[in-house]
Amino acid sequence: MNASPVHASSVAKHFGRVRALDDCSFALPEGSVTALVGPNGAGKSTLLSLIAGLARPTSGSVSVRGTPVRGRMHPDVALLTQKRPLYEQFTVREVMRAGAALNDRWSAARASEVLDLLAGVDRDAKVRTLSAGARTQVAIALALGRLPKLLLLDEPLSDLDPLARDETLRIVMTDVAERGTTVLLSSHLLTDLGDVCDHLLLLDEGRVQVVGDIDGILVDHRVVVGPAEVELETDGVVVDSSHTPRQTTALVRGGSAPSGWDSTHPDLETLVMAYLRASRTRKLARQ
Amino acid sequence: MTWIVWRQQRPVFITLAGGLVVAAAAILLLRAGMLADLKAGNLVDCVEQKLAVCRGKEAREFQKSWYDLIHIAQIAVVVVPALVGVFIGAPLFAREFEQGTHVLAFTQSVSRTRWMATKFVVAGLPALLFVAALQLLVRSWVNAAGKLGPLVGGPFYFTTFDAQGVSPVVYTLFAYTLGVFVGALSRRTLVAITLTLGVFVASRIAVAVRRDEFGEPVRELSPDLTDPYAGVGDGQVMDTGFLDAKGAVVADPGSAQAPCVPSTRVEVSVEDRTACWQQHGLAQRYRDVLQVDQATTIHLLEAAIFAGLAAVFVLGLVWAVRRQS
Repeated sequence: MNASPVHASSVAKHFGRVRALDDCSFALPEGSVTALVGPNGAGKSTLLSLIAGLARPTSGSVSVRGTPVRGRMHPDVALLTQKRPLYEQFTVREVMRAGAALNDRWSAARASEVLDLLAGVDRDAKVRTLSAGARTQVAIALALGRLPKLLLLDEPLSDLDPLARDETLRIVMTDVAERGTTVLLSSHLLTDLGDVCDHLLLLDEGRVQVVGDIDGILVDHRVVVGPAEVELETDGVVVDSSHTPRQTTALVRGGSAPSGWDSTHPDLETLVMAYLRASRTRKLARQ
Repeated sequence: MTWIVWRQQRPVFITLAGGLVVAAAAILLLRAGMLADLKAGNLVDCVEQKLAVCRGKEAREFQKSWYDLIHIAQIAVVVVPALVGVFIGAPLFAREFEQGTHVLAFTQSVSRTRWMATKFVVAGLPALLFVAALQLLVRSWVNAAGKLGPLVGGPFYFTTFDAQGVSPVVYTLFAYTLGVFVGALSRRTLVAITLTLGVFVASRIAVAVRRDEFGEPVRELSPDLTDPYAGVGDGQVMDTGFLDAKGAVVADPGSAQAPCVPSTRVEVSVEDRTACWQQHGLAQRYRDVLQVDQATTIHLLEAAIFAGLAAVFVLGLVWAVRRQS
């Protein structure tokens, strides 16, 4: 049995005829911070809810720290969902009391610490009066109060201003540094992710396109630039290519650098963008 | 967990508590006023039995000012269970699913089953207690009016029956479980409210119209041919008709009565009409009456039906909450 924080083997999730996830297999190493990226509808949220036990896979299995996920959340997991569901009528203090009541293992001190970070959240404010940033902070406090060993974050940075984004990431990264938490976070904000993530899980149309250590992935890919009239010959896989009247740019996976082409290793943003573009091209070609 | 549900339902509980205080104060005050009226009109004895003096002017005045008020109180006891189902039962889970807050609970340590059971019990119990208390208050008022109030219609009189015995609490249980089940199934508050109200009213009517099948009506015979209700007691008359001299039911009394209708507009005395009907084969009146002492049995049978349905809804609720997409 694989005891890694998350281990998925051939996981598929179908909603009727829609295949949200198909044959996904991967394992995340302990203590890693993994960026879960992919175009809208790639199955990111579905994957997170399968790991959290909110939904059941159609086939295949997910296990968390060696225990198969069956219908409920593993005690070591905390999930921040995209909608940040909180009881609107509760005050922040009451939300924290609810967190304590709903959990077997709960650190009021840890939750309180998270609430005090940044500008601090007013404990007596009603949840529905909070700003998007403060609301996310409360939701993260609720997640970290569980003292998770695996933290799942679904779009933790959406609807936050740049400052709050930066500070929210800092809260999470502090937890990683202090407690060695494994993190899997989905986001569209690649520039923010580059600094904090060491692993990448790239989904497209429910399938894993790329998974692994970011440095290794970047080394494995090349951005090649050459004159437009020359056919690109490579022993690697062309992920995506774009043409201008004068030159051709392509992202190539594996293989050796083609001779006569200008070849560099991409940065994370370039790599992900190329995959996203390729995904859209495939989708358009099918229509 | 109990605290969380209590906190979530706080506005509901405040409404229930406030409603009960207002209802209790109103009913006790009205009841005291009514008792004073009884004394003033020398009608205290009329509460126990129908005396000749109880048909006098004082009695009529008394009924004019109090009967409808007491009736309204009974109707409130009949209506409140539906309100509990619609406003407490239906949104209980539907709103959580609609606002996504069920995910909040499901991503903590508590199991779905415990979450569901706690919500179900903590939100439901106060509503049941409210209905029981309201029923007792109204009952004390109805009893104080006695035969001068709705009780004159006997235990089967529709508001009296529905507001009495185990019925209000069981109707509430039925409406509440129906609401929570439909809410957890549809996951839409508005859908749940509409369905709960519709199904509740339909099933209440469907069972109420079959009430005579739950009891066994007793056939009472009467020599008074012209008045089917002569000397009738507090029981519920389900059917009336005529018997011939051999004691068999007359299938078509209309044809026997037809020759006795005078061709011109003249007053026919009761005696003459009776004699004429007797000549044409109508010997006795009969009526099938649901007896007063069967009221408890019918209450229990009806309660068993609704409690059974409530149990089914609870099982459905468990399934609806535990099922995963």
